[in-house]
Amino acid sequence: MATSDYLVHPSSYRDPAGFVFQYQSKYYRQVNKSYSDNYDLLISSGLYKILTEKKSLIAHSEVNEHFPGSNLHYKTLLPQQVPFISYPYEWSFDMLKDAALLTLEINNIAIAHGMILKDATGFNIQFINGKPVFIDTLSFEKYDDSRPWIAYRQFCESFLFPLYLSHYCYSKAQKLLSIYPDGIPLLVTAKLLPYKSRFNLDVWMHVYLQKKAYTSSVQGDERKVVFSKHKMKLLLDSLMNSCKRLKSNEEGVWNNYYEERILSKEYLEQKEKIFNEFLYSLSFKTVIDLGSNEGHFSLIAAKKTAIVISTDSDAGAVNNLYKTIKQTGTSVLPLVVDICNPTPAVGFNNEERNSFVQRAKADLVLALALVHHLSISKNITFAMLAEFLQNMGHALIIEFVPKEDEKVKVLLKNKTDIFDWYTELNFEEQFARYFAIEQKQVIPGTARILYRMSRKS
Amino acid sequence: MHVCLLYVDPGSGGYLIQMIIAGILGALFYFKGLWWKIKSFFVKKKPGNTDKENGNI
Repeated sequence: MATSDYLVHPSSYRDPAGFVFQYQSKYYRQVNKSYSDNYDLLISSGLYKILTEKKSLIAHSEVNEHFPGSNLHYKTLLPQQVPFISYPYEWSFDMLKDAALLTLEINNIAIAHGMILKDATGFNIQFINGKPVFIDTLSFEKYDDSRPWIAYRQFCESFLFPLYLSHYCYSKAQKLLSIYPDGIPLLVTAKLLPYKSRFNLDVWMHVYLQKKAYTSSVQGDERKVVFSKHKMKLLLDSLMNSCKRLKSNEEGVWNNYYEERILSKEYLEQKEKIFNEFLYSLSFKTVIDLGSNEGHFSLIAAKKTAIVISTDSDAGAVNNLYKTIKQTGTSVLPLVVDICNPTPAVGFNNEERNSFVQRAKADLVLALALVHHLSISKNITFAMLAEFLQNMGHALIIEFVPKEDEKVKVLLKNKTDIFDWYTELNFEEQFARYFAIEQKQVIPGTARILYRMSRKS
Repeated sequence: MHVCLLYVDPGSGGYLIQMIIAGILGALFYFKGLWWKIKSFFVKKKPGNTDKENGNI
């Protein structure tokens, strides 16, 4: 097999313990010789077994694939493949909080097995069936019970500070992680947090006191610091309790959408009926639901044994959906993504973390009660939207909300109507450039229309 | 005094602050324990379990 068939993941260059590579559309992890002792301890201490049994750590098998040309090779692992990669700046508040708690819980279990986490970044976690899973098998190292936690500041900047900012300032504060992928810096956090936050002992210690120590001109020799296991327990318990007490700052603008804002219960029932009919004529394994709100239709699609990526710009609505699916383990991945400004590609050479558009590929795309928001509120034309959606999936279920609809009238109330093009005919003409319209049905009792389309080859 | 933070390794673990925090938490832990000892000395436990204590109201 040619060497070019093997691709090292662009973000896998920091850790000398090994790297991730792709071969024939599967992801593998090479363990380097320098990490062999730690890898063997991970297995022999029983830590790997207990963490994988709890589904806290991704399971892997050792395989014979050998990354060509690497003289550092110790072992190659084939981990359980993650269906969809998401990033901390796309997660809702409770997702980031659960990821933080998982990191601390894993660290506690690791310490009990003579190991410790050497890094603590949100990129080490992925969500599978509503649960966070730790994916970096090479993050464990032998625990020296006289040393502090090397990943403490990274944990603060990657988890604790974004959670503090979401708790005290704004529910979407963790979006800041897309401009600070290594974590929201201590000094930035200290400047952004409101004055009242310093009356909380945890915040005072982990932010303000840490800032004082960090900026102090008196820098001691950190190598001489001795830190007992008891002190480590106090520190980790403090971080755990601080995370547990945090709540997202505000309710989402779309919260209780279905209870309060939807046209009527009858509308929802009729729409659901047509939606189910459309689903029966389709075969799909992956779905992207755009503007999913609290995921009513995502949950219906997930019943057809599909993995559903459920996106909305409202962090509160996404958080509510996460709370629903984490109870049931449903295969829905709720993400805070704004269609008008999707997650950008970040990292060195813009290659370490892909943009949402690069990752968002599915068999079926849902865009229900969305078009009027994009077109009337954001001036996105049908041609722009059709082109955008055709890159995302083979099949499309989309709802057209005409101008006579009362929700569109509300959107136009304080706006000059410059939307002569916003007609059913133009909608169909523009979408017909990329899609074949397979089914079209008016939702009884409304002027809204549901379409099922398939991408033209 | 101005300190150039460009030369402070942002990836380091903040070892000194961990020592200070653990010291504060250790002191709190100690005084909390002491407080409970004093409290239990003055507040004597009622003999036997009542229904209310068992949650059967």
